[in-house]
Amino acid sequence: MTLLSFNIPVVVLLPFVGAIAAAWVSRYSRLASAWAATIITLLAMAFLAPAAGLPFQGETLIQSWSWIPGIGLTFSFRLDGLALLFALLILAIGLLVIGYARYYLSPKDCMGRFFAYLLMFMGSMLGVVLSENLIQLVVFWELTSLTSFLLISYWRHRQDARLGARMALAITGAGGLALLAGVMLLGHVVGSYNLTDVLAAGDRVRASELYLPVLVLILIGVFTKSAQFPFHFWLPHAMAAPTPVSAYLHSATMVKAGIFLLARFFPVLSGTPEWSWIVSSAGLITLVIGAYIALFQHDLKGLLAYSTISHLGLITLLFGFGTQLAAVAAIFHIINHATFKASLFMVAGIIDHETGTRDMRRINGLFSYMPHTAVLAMIAAAAMAGVPLLNGFLSKEMFFQQTITASQVSGWAWAIPALVLIAAIFSVAYSLRFIHDVFFNGKPVDLPKTPHEPPRFMKIPVDLLVIICLAVGIIPMFTVAPVLHVAVAGTLQASPPEYSLAIWHGINLPLIMSILALAGGALVYTARKRLFAWHDASVARWDARIVFNAILGSLDRFAVGVTRVFDKGSLQNAAVWVIVTALTAGFIGWMGISAPLLGARELLPVDGVSLAVLAVMMAASLMTAVLHRRRLVSLLMLGVVGLVVSLVFVKFSAPDLALTQLSVEVVTVVLLLLALYFLPQSTPRERDKVRIGRDIAISVLAGAGVAVLTMGVLTRELTPISDYFLLNAVPGGGGTNVVNVILVDFRGTDTLGEIVVLALAGLGIYAMLRGMKLPAPDRDSQGRLWSSDNHPEIMRTHTRLLFPLMLMIAVYIFLRGHNLPGGGFIAGLIAAVALIVQYLANGIAWTSKRLRFDMHWVIGLGLLAATATGLVAMGLGYPFLTSTFTYLDWPVVGKFEVASAIAFDLGVFLVVVGATVLSLVELGKLSDSSHKAEQQKRRTEVR
Amino acid sequence: MEFEIPKMSAALPEMFVLGMACLILVIDLFLTDKNRIITYLLAQATLVGAAIASLGYQFGSPEIAFNGSFIRDAMGDTLKVFIYLSVFVVFLYSRSYLQARNLFRGEFFVLGLFGVLGMMIMVSAHSLLTLYLGLELLSLSMYALVAMNRDSSYSSEAAMKYFVLGALASGMLLYGMSMLYGVTGSLELSQISAGVATAGAGNMVLVFGLVFTVVGLAFKLGAVPFHMWVPDVYHGSPTAVTVYIGSAPKIAAFAMVMRLLVDGLEGLQEHWQGMLVILAILSLALGNITAIAQTNIKRMLAYSTIAHVGYLLLGVLSGSDSGYASAMFYTIVYALMSLGGFGMIMLLSRTGFEADRLDDFKGLNERSPWFAFMMLILMFSMAGVPVFLGFWAKLSVLSAVVEAEMVWLAAVAVVFSIIGAFYYLRVVKLMYFDKPEDNTPIDSEFDVRVMLSANSLAILVLGLFPGALMSLCVNAFAL
Repeated sequence: MTLLSFNIPVVVLLPFVGAIAAAWVSRYSRLASAWAATIITLLAMAFLAPAAGLPFQGETLIQSWSWIPGIGLTFSFRLDGLALLFALLILAIGLLVIGYARYYLSPKDCMGRFFAYLLMFMGSMLGVVLSENLIQLVVFWELTSLTSFLLISYWRHRQDARLGARMALAITGAGGLALLAGVMLLGHVVGSYNLTDVLAAGDRVRASELYLPVLVLILIGVFTKSAQFPFHFWLPHAMAAPTPVSAYLHSATMVKAGIFLLARFFPVLSGTPEWSWIVSSAGLITLVIGAYIALFQHDLKGLLAYSTISHLGLITLLFGFGTQLAAVAAIFHIINHATFKASLFMVAGIIDHETGTRDMRRINGLFSYMPHTAVLAMIAAAAMAGVPLLNGFLSKEMFFQQTITASQVSGWAWAIPALVLIAAIFSVAYSLRFIHDVFFNGKPVDLPKTPHEPPRFMKIPVDLLVIICLAVGIIPMFTVAPVLHVAVAGTLQASPPEYSLAIWHGINLPLIMSILALAGGALVYTARKRLFAWHDASVARWDARIVFNAILGSLDRFAVGVTRVFDKGSLQNAAVWVIVTALTAGFIGWMGISAPLLGARELLPVDGVSLAVLAVMMAASLMTAVLHRRRLVSLLMLGVVGLVVSLVFVKFSAPDLALTQLSVEVVTVVLLLLALYFLPQSTPRERDKVRIGRDIAISVLAGAGVAVLTMGVLTRELTPISDYFLLNAVPGGGGTNVVNVILVDFRGTDTLGEIVVLALAGLGIYAMLRGMKLPAPDRDSQGRLWSSDNHPEIMRTHTRLLFPLMLMIAVYIFLRGHNLPGGGFIAGLIAAVALIVQYLANGIAWTSKRLRFDMHWVIGLGLLAATATGLVAMGLGYPFLTSTFTYLDWPVVGKFEVASAIAFDLGVFLVVVGATVLSLVELGKLSDSSHKAEQQKRRTEVR
Repeated sequence: MEFEIPKMSAALPEMFVLGMACLILVIDLFLTDKNRIITYLLAQATLVGAAIASLGYQFGSPEIAFNGSFIRDAMGDTLKVFIYLSVFVVFLYSRSYLQARNLFRGEFFVLGLFGVLGMMIMVSAHSLLTLYLGLELLSLSMYALVAMNRDSSYSSEAAMKYFVLGALASGMLLYGMSMLYGVTGSLELSQISAGVATAGAGNMVLVFGLVFTVVGLAFKLGAVPFHMWVPDVYHGSPTAVTVYIGSAPKIAAFAMVMRLLVDGLEGLQEHWQGMLVILAILSLALGNITAIAQTNIKRMLAYSTIAHVGYLLLGVLSGSDSGYASAMFYTIVYALMSLGGFGMIMLLSRTGFEADRLDDFKGLNERSPWFAFMMLILMFSMAGVPVFLGFWAKLSVLSAVVEAEMVWLAAVAVVFSIIGAFYYLRVVKLMYFDKPEDNTPIDSEFDVRVMLSANSLAILVLGLFPGALMSLCVNAFAL
């Protein structure tokens, strides 16, 4: 395995590891982390070096590992000319910035943190430019947003740093998500996330119907990152960062990441009208606006920030032209801008460092204080202005040439060179301002510090960069040409077109434009005082940040509004939403289906009695709702509904269900009555008419919906499952009452489970209510005292007479259960009602004295009986709860069928009796005791 | 009549948890407050034991048991293991929190374990009956847990609302199930699936049944507009209960959706896809927008949950195996993040103080840089920032949606995740840029600190190497 099979990921990951090291060593010495960062960067360069030759031989190096096979993601890297150029820029300028920052940061600043962030950022940038997999590229892209956020907010005690960092993160982070979406669509179109495949599939992408969304989403990512109009406003606010950070992020790296992406996708996405229109208009607008605003900045870094925006616009515009020569010019300007802008930022940092301010209205005439720095600044600024013999001149000439070519496309395109010329004039003007205002133009005004030359090592990075500006400007063929050639080849994924790097092309239009720009710039600069006054009075108040803040503010207000509507914390509100949505969904479902609502089954004939009974039920339901404020009446109405339901069961030949319904109804009404006693006597009145109307409408609609649905189900022919049970009840379970056979035999285990639950519920209620004291009301809803005669004599006498009769019925129902309507459950309920009636009529004290058995025992015995039945079967070698039956011939009664299931049914009976009585009596005791207490109190009051 | 002996071996973990929960319930009766820690340890041991039992199946091929009402398969095993893991972490976070509030009672752990049992049954349900059984076991445990702090009127109110609305939703679910049963004549999911194929997707009753079933599911998931209970319950419950409700039950709810809609009603996909699209968009929109306006972090996380449910639904509705795998991945990832987020609230809380306002996170970096960093990981992950686990979850869901040719839906989801990033980043801003309001040192116990750090770091590490977790999810659908 040679170094060339794994060195690229090492280059990318090394800074991340180095970040930890840099943070760690800062504990021992302040400067150690600067050294660590330097070493890491040099190491990364050393690892990159062996592969650097490959692109020059026309090879693309790809190193790939499987990462997340689940979504087709590989961990893969790519080194071609374009990637190499950017990697070199990132590492070289990174190295210079590290050296510069070591002297820039004051002893108060935490070195370890700074260099750790810087290295992390460097690693992320390297990741962006060296990625082969697009998703991986987006990951590193977002990491650059995050790490730049950390860098910009490095001086976190400063409000402007925090706001600037937050805005930068919000804009670039959001752009990153758009880019992710774009890349995913691109991968969907191409069928692979690998750049090699994507770059080869340009035609397919451009022909795809998803081309426009892909383009727009990716461009949003690009424009946010590279501060293109209309997302340009975050960049000036990010100037709150320490100057080394600005020098690094806003010359060669962060903002260039967007440009890098434009270059990367140039062969895939360019060459369509959409590309030209969107990219070149964004570029042109940014170019002009940036150049214009830059002139009016009084903050040194503000001027550089807007000039950066303007130059990025220039590069974008070049890519927007979409021709190969324009791409050459763009790549060339990327290199040149990185060098002169980095040096200018560093100069700004030196001035800030030495004078304590960046306000150009106060820093004047610095030439006499720091001549060396001044010379450096002048050369770099001249390169920015496009003065001949400097690198900026060469790429600007190429740029002018391209605008002239583009102007021949249509009748209106002459506007392009015209606007570009205006921007160039402003560019010259602000460069002049940077030189003249700062280093000449009188004496400094009231500076916090007396300026002097900075430490030598702080100037060395600037020296080097300025030398590059000069070298490229004077002898391009021997310096930049090979790098430019290979980078262009990497961008176009083809051999570069013919272009010339000569300084002198004869007198042609671009040269004339350059001369015009230089002359015009000088003119504008001399007229600056009047221009400043005019600008301050009119345009200065416009700031895109206002829009950003307004959007954030309105989002916040919108969120609060939405919360107010939806998050009321009201149960009724929530219930309304649930029901209304279910209704709507059902309605939409109904509309969406062409099948008829009603089935083919014929309706049964209707007789008068049934109608009358149903009318009673409807009236009772209605009364329950209408009289809900009078709870007692409402409860009785609910009881009526239950009773009518049991009649319905009778009508459809389900006597078992009817009996169950009947007894359950009685027990629940008693239970509710006992509970109601402790609750307020009436419900508060709802006064909101609208709300009542709304609720009525919803309930009517819901009722109608359910009715229609029921009709739909009932009119369809469905095969019921009852046939199986009807056929098998006698042969399998020995009983003709299918319901009972199912309960005790077919589904015996279920029933066993149910009675266990019932038993536990009874015990639970007992445990909860025992010893509980509740204040009971002593008056009813109309303020009348409750009767003091709790147990009227007539009722007592009659219920005592009824008791044996009711028990007899219970036994009767129990015994016939297996064949005729009845069974343990119903019998249990009847017996329970018999007992409860005694408690109700005679009082708990009286009854308890006579009914001495403990209901806990009853429950326990019941469970035991049921389980034992099952276990006996197991003991005889059958599975649990297997039942058998035989016929006995009893005297008098005759032939009688005995199923082993009857023992099980007895268990059910006992549990039902025990649990029901236990819980209801406990509830009754509660009211009894509190009632007694009330009476006691009343008596004492009377006395 | 004779009965078949069911194949018990498939439900070994369930039976183990049931047995242990009952045992712990009894043992707890005989413990004094001093040695109640035994209950806690036994509960944790139960979860570990269940995990061993579930892992014993080695994600093998599916087995159907109990007359077709129970299924054990790779998806179920995977989800169950993550349920045990989540609840284990919940119990661990809760111990000291509950002790400080006099809530350290056996009920919490016993109800928690019964809830786990309910979730396991939901995950392994292969008939409507088992599904409902598991759901109700879980729901009832949760109602009781929410109301556990009986002295708090917030808790009682939340529990009451949760119970009433939950009952309403259960009713609708049952109504829907009854219609499905009516048409297909079976409760068993595979037979329902066959029945749907015979009846055809145009069957009116089936469609109504589906509507009500989806309403029930949406409620249990907390999707808009059935989300009303979520913020109140998250806010009102003791945080120990909130973290329970916010993590493992989402995994179970995902399983329920898969079992019902995919295993049972895949034939009606054309219908439920549209419904889920609406639910997903509404959840994404309302969850993300409303979260911005919250000042209470529990409420904020509640709305964020709603938004996350939207993403989960996106994975399901794409209707392919890769979509289901992505939804499963998302669910598990969400559960892990949610554990960390609420765990952080419990870490900052102390006796008599609940750190549930956003302002309580101000200046956390000055109080504890380490835990501020842990919270940063959690927030970035929830926001879906790359290299954190949450990013891969969003990515896999979105790519499933794109694969299903629903590009516009992916775009909508991206827009809302941009909005969503806003409120997560606000927490980061509060922690790093603002001055702390109180400077009380963080006095949480050692085990909570270690677990919380492990929880957050897991999100970072798994974010760097998500391959294993993701292939686990993909394999769950490969068989």
